[in-house]
Amino acid sequence: MNPITALVGRNARLVFWRNFLAWQKYAVSSVAINIIDPFIYFLAIGLGLGAYVTLTGHGTLMQFIAPGMLGMAVMNAGTFDSCWGCFERLNFNGVYESMVTAPVDPLEIAAGEYLWQAFRAILYGTLFLAAVAAFGLIHSWWVLACPLVFALGGMAFAVPGFYVAMIVAIQEHLFFYFSFVVTPMLMVGGVFFPLDRMPAWVAAIGWCTPLYHAVAACRQLLVGAPTLQTGIDIAWLVVFTLAMMFVPRRVLRRKLGN
Amino acid sequence: MADHPGPSLERGTSVSCPRGPDGGIPRATMQTVCMASQLSPAVAANGLTKSYGPLEAVRGISFAIAPSECYGFLGRNGAGKTTTMKMIYCRIARTSGTLDVLGLDAAVSAREIKSRIGVVTQENALDQELTVMENLLVYGSFFGLRQAEAEKRARSLLAMMSLTGKERAKYKELSGGMRRRLVIARALVNEPELLVLDEPTTGLDPQARLMVWETLNGLRDRGLTLIITTHYMEEAARLCDRIAVMEEGRIFAEDTPAGLVQRFAAAEVLEVIAEPAHADALAQTEAFDGLVRRRERHGDVTYLYTDDNRALLARMAQAGLDSRRHVARVATLEDVFLNITGRGLGE
Ligand SMILES: Nc1ncnc2c1ncn2[C@@H]1O[C@H](COP(=O)(O)OP(=O)(O)OP(=O)(O)O)[C@@H](O)[C@H]1O
Ligand SMILES: [Mg+2]
Repeated sequence: MNPITALVGRNARLVFWRNFLAWQKYAVSSVAINIIDPFIYFLAIGLGLGAYVTLTGHGTLMQFIAPGMLGMAVMNAGTFDSCWGCFERLNFNGVYESMVTAPVDPLEIAAGEYLWQAFRAILYGTLFLAAVAAFGLIHSWWVLACPLVFALGGMAFAVPGFYVAMIVAIQEHLFFYFSFVVTPMLMVGGVFFPLDRMPAWVAAIGWCTPLYHAVAACRQLLVGAPTLQTGIDIAWLVVFTLAMMFVPRRVLRRKLGN
Repeated sequence: MADHPGPSLERGTSVSCPRGPDGGIPRATMQTVCMASQLSPAVAANGLTKSYGPLEAVRGISFAIAPSECYGFLGRNGAGKTTTMKMIYCRIARTSGTLDVLGLDAAVSAREIKSRIGVVTQENALDQELTVMENLLVYGSFFGLRQAEAEKRARSLLAMMSLTGKERAKYKELSGGMRRRLVIARALVNEPELLVLDEPTTGLDPQARLMVWETLNGLRDRGLTLIITTHYMEEAARLCDRIAVMEEGRIFAEDTPAGLVQRFAAAEVLEVIAEPAHADALAQTEAFDGLVRRRERHGDVTYLYTDDNRALLARMAQAGLDSRRHVARVATLEDVFLNITGRGLGE
């Protein structure tokens, strides 16, 4: 079994189902938390700051920031539960410990989590997208392809997030990952402002982040048909995610294997 | 270490010893051992070790558990029981030696082994975010059970464990004993051939413990192999066909409960509470014409193991030894355990 075949197996779906059962008990608050955050940013920056600022060559600030916030919602959805939640499922709540006395491979647990994070990203991304639609920022039917980007983006964040959850010893250490890896992506991911006036090296770093590609793909799909660039963004997300899936194999064996 | 039995099942033939005074001789011992010589063992270990870094938790143990046998591991805290269990249920890998479970190498076929066994871990490994019923359904699904079938089994297991009515209860709403019972119910959801129980009745009230004993006896009658660890000697005596007493990662002795009582105690024990000077007098073997088979001393209490307390008391009176402060009782597995592992905490 490898991380990719695990993704399509039955046990991954069962892990997904298990997460759904647990999640439905607090679904309302979970949705609220995941939508409100990016929405407030969207209003504050898009409406508030946008009243004073326009981005030369990029339209209104609101139009620019909407897909940025969409990417942020997806990033948060894919990161937070795969870090915080998976850490608890590993160490506190007996979730994985239950699974591994049954015939479940650690790779299947990981795969189920990735699918679950993809679902969350689709759900929260789509809800946020619906809110954005109310501001007249959607100009193309291609927007219907956005959930695909949400799924890929969610997974692209879930895989490294899950790995971090597996390796940290103390839950609070997850904040290092949030503060030094995840949040800085907002600066360089083309979320709040375009990268074309940034030094080349900043733009280069930004280009390497999954956030950049998720945002760029959404930005295009909001206004028109996908371009070659959009194809590259999506391909980048796929390749990054698949490659990252091979990283946690050792730690998974150690923590949950035998 | 005195005794280091190999994996040979013929050892179990010491069942000819008389019915244990604690009433704990298991019913099926003879059959089990006879069957065992024909069938391949349910679990067989040879020179099994497990190290955690520099710490050797299990130091080369060998045993063979026959199908349909109930096999117990006793030992003090840290003796290596849970470590052994975890290797059997494929949670951790062995360091060296061999270990076959249901005829399959634990290092190679973990997945198939897990699909055919039931596990009650020492720490409750329940999914705390799910309800009672969800726990059973999700767990059952990993064994390929369809929802309807899993639900049917879950309901009958909950009834068996007196948890009917708790289907929708959350983990937090269950008492410690209910959680334990739920773990046992869950371990049976896949109809296992072999059940591994690490301290299954710790934290249960007397009624629940009786219920679990009944359940386990019923399962064994249906042909399940049981492996159990416990700190309750009565439980071991009642349930187990054979017992391995572990000390510091090794099996110190392995026998039937009655056999162990014979070897490490005697039919009866006279506890004499005495001043040190008096106790020294009690320590002299010649005084009792071989009536005393084993002597232990701990603080003010001298334990005289004999097959006949009355004769011993008469003999002591004859010898002019004060025995006014005494307790005369039958010897039990508890005596065996204490004699093997020491009476003090520090030993
Ligand atoms: N994960 C681990 N890492 C390091 N050492 C461990 C680990 N698990 C157990 N040990 C050590 O291995 C030894 C055996 O532990 P084990 O849990 O097998 O004992 P036990 O016989 O089950 O005890 P108890 O009756 O308290 O349950 C102990 O010295 C313990 O400290
Ligand atoms: Mg233990």
